[in-house]
Amino acid sequence: MAGSLGYGLLRVPLQVQDSLPKIVEAGRSPGVWASFTSEIGTTDFRPLWMAETKLLFDLSGGHVHIAYKAFHIALLVAALGLFVAALRIETGVDLAASLFALSVFVGSNTFTGLVKEATPVNVYLPIVVFVLLAIHLSRSRHAWWVDAAAMLIFIAACLTLESGVLVWVALVAGRIAGRRGVSDRALLCVTALMVVYLVVRLTMLPLDTQNASGYLAERLEAEQIRERFGAGLSRFSIYTVLASIFSVLFSEPRDGTIVMLRAWEAGDIPPRMWINIASSVITTVLIGIAAWRLSRSGTVVAEPHRDDMRADVIVFGALLAASGVASFAYAKDVIMSSAGACYALVAFWGVRDALIRVRRVGATIAMAAILLAASSLWAVRVIGMHHVLRSQAFAFHNDWAEMRDHLPDDPAGHRLVSVLRTDALSRPVVNPWFIPRWADRVFDIDY
Amino acid sequence: MNLPAVCVAIPALVAVSFCGAVVGAAMFGYTPTFWEGGPLTLAEAAALRDQGEVARLIEAGADPNGEFALRPDVLSVSRATPLEAAVLARRAEIVELLMHEGAAVDERTWHRLRCVANEIGEGDVIDAINAYRPATATAVSCPQ
Repeated sequence: MAGSLGYGLLRVPLQVQDSLPKIVEAGRSPGVWASFTSEIGTTDFRPLWMAETKLLFDLSGGHVHIAYKAFHIALLVAALGLFVAALRIETGVDLAASLFALSVFVGSNTFTGLVKEATPVNVYLPIVVFVLLAIHLSRSRHAWWVDAAAMLIFIAACLTLESGVLVWVALVAGRIAGRRGVSDRALLCVTALMVVYLVVRLTMLPLDTQNASGYLAERLEAEQIRERFGAGLSRFSIYTVLASIFSVLFSEPRDGTIVMLRAWEAGDIPPRMWINIASSVITTVLIGIAAWRLSRSGTVVAEPHRDDMRADVIVFGALLAASGVASFAYAKDVIMSSAGACYALVAFWGVRDALIRVRRVGATIAMAAILLAASSLWAVRVIGMHHVLRSQAFAFHNDWAEMRDHLPDDPAGHRLVSVLRTDALSRPVVNPWFIPRWADRVFDIDY
Repeated sequence: MNLPAVCVAIPALVAVSFCGAVVGAAMFGYTPTFWEGGPLTLAEAAALRDQGEVARLIEAGADPNGEFALRPDVLSVSRATPLEAAVLARRAEIVELLMHEGAAVDERTWHRLRCVANEIGEGDVIDAINAYRPATATAVSCPQ
C-alpha cells in the first residue's frame, strides 16, 4: 500500500498554492537555522516544519520534486509501518482483522489529507507518526531512553504543528489506561513542557482561527462565519467540534459540511457517499459492541489481549475528543487524522472481537455477510485514495500552466520557479477524459 | 476454517493486490493501467480544460494557431484550431491561456470565433473573445 501510494505521490506535481511560496522562501533562506527562527512570533509557528523544508531544499541538489516527494513517502512508510506494528497479529483471525484495519486506516477520509496535500511537506503526517510513536513508547517496557524519546517527540511535534499536543494526549491516556512504558516523572516533564507551549502559543503568538469551514450543508468563508455567529464561543464552535468527531466515526460531515445533505438537496446522492457512510457505520458499530463487551465485567476474563484492547480504546477516545476540541475554530478532516489512525487501530479490536465471539451457525453467516460488506466497501475506499491522487495530479499540473505570468521578480526566484514549472509540466498526468465517468461517483473525491 | 475471517480478509486482500499491481507495473517500467492516460493534440487539450498540457505542448513547439485532429467523443468536430476547440468547449480560461501562449487572431478568425461563441451563448467565453478583438474588426454579424 505504501509503495502504490508512494508511486502516486511521485506522479503528482508539486503543489503551487501554499507550497510554491514556501519553496521560494527556502531557496532564499541563508540556512536551516534561519528558516527555523523565521517562524518564531508568526501566526503559524511551525519552526521545525520550515527547517525541514529548507533542509530538504538544500539536500535536493536541484531535484526539488524528488526530495520533497521522497520525504513525504518516507513519512508515509513510517506511519503505515508504525500502524501495522501496533496491531497484535498472532493468529489467522488477527491477520484478517489487521487487513481490515489497514484498509480502514488508508481508506479513511481523515487519511486523504495526508497524501493529497504537501506544502511542500505534509504538515499533518509527521503528527500521525509522532502520535503512533507515542503509543508505541507507552506500550513498551520502561527504560530511560523511552522517557527521553517521549520528551523529544513531544517537542518535535509541537514545533511542527499545534496538533503536536496530541502526543501528550496519547501519552497521558496510555498512562491512565495502565501503560507503564513512559515513567510518571517523564510524563510530568512532558506536561510541564505542554503548559509552557500552550502559554506561549495562546498568549504570545497570534492564533489563526479565521478559516473557511462547513456548516450543515453549506461551506462558509471566514467572513460569513463571523457575520452569522459573531465572535467567541458559539453554536458554530460546538458544531465544528461535534462535526469533526462525527467525521471520524461516520465519514460525515466532510470538513464540516454534511455533503450527503447537500447532495440530497441537489437531488443526486452518488454511490461514494453511501459507501463512505455504510463502511464507517458498520465499523463504528463493531467497535461500539466490542467496547460494550469490554466494559462488562467478567465476560472477557479469558481474553489474553483484554488490557491492550481496553488501553487502545481509551487512547482512541482521548485522541478523538482532543482532536475534536482542537477543531473548534474550523472543521477539517485532516486535523482528525491522528484520531483516524487510532480509529483504525480500535477497528482491529472490534473486528477481532466479532470474529472470535461468533459461534452459532446463523450468527456466523450473518457476521460473515456484514464483514464481507464492510471490508468490500473499505477496499473500494482504499482504491479510491489512488483516484484522489490521480485527480490531484491533474489539478496541480494545471496550476503550473498559469505560473508563467506570476514568476518572482528576483533572478534567483525567477530561475527556480521556471525550472520547477518546466519540471512539473513535463510530468505526465491523466486527463479526466480518459477516466470512466463512474469513477467520480464511486471513488471518493476532494471536497 | 473461520468463514467470517475469510470474508473480512478477501476484499482487503483485493485492495492490497491492486496496490501490488500498481507497484509491480511501475517496477517493471510500465505505466500502471490506473495511471494511464494518452497523448492529446493541442486542440484536444484545449477542449478538455487541460491547461497544463496546453502550456507544455506549446512550449514544446506545437503551433497554437494550427489545426489539429480531435477524437470523436471530444467535440462535435473532427478538426479544429485550439482556440476553436476552447470556444466550442466553453473554456474561457483556455482562451486566455492560449492567447498568453502565443495564439493570434486576425480579423477573419476573430469574427469566426465570435460567431461560434455567440452560438454557444456562454457569456464569459464571449467576453474572453471580445478582449482580443483586433482594432480593425468591424461590427459582428453572424450568419443565422
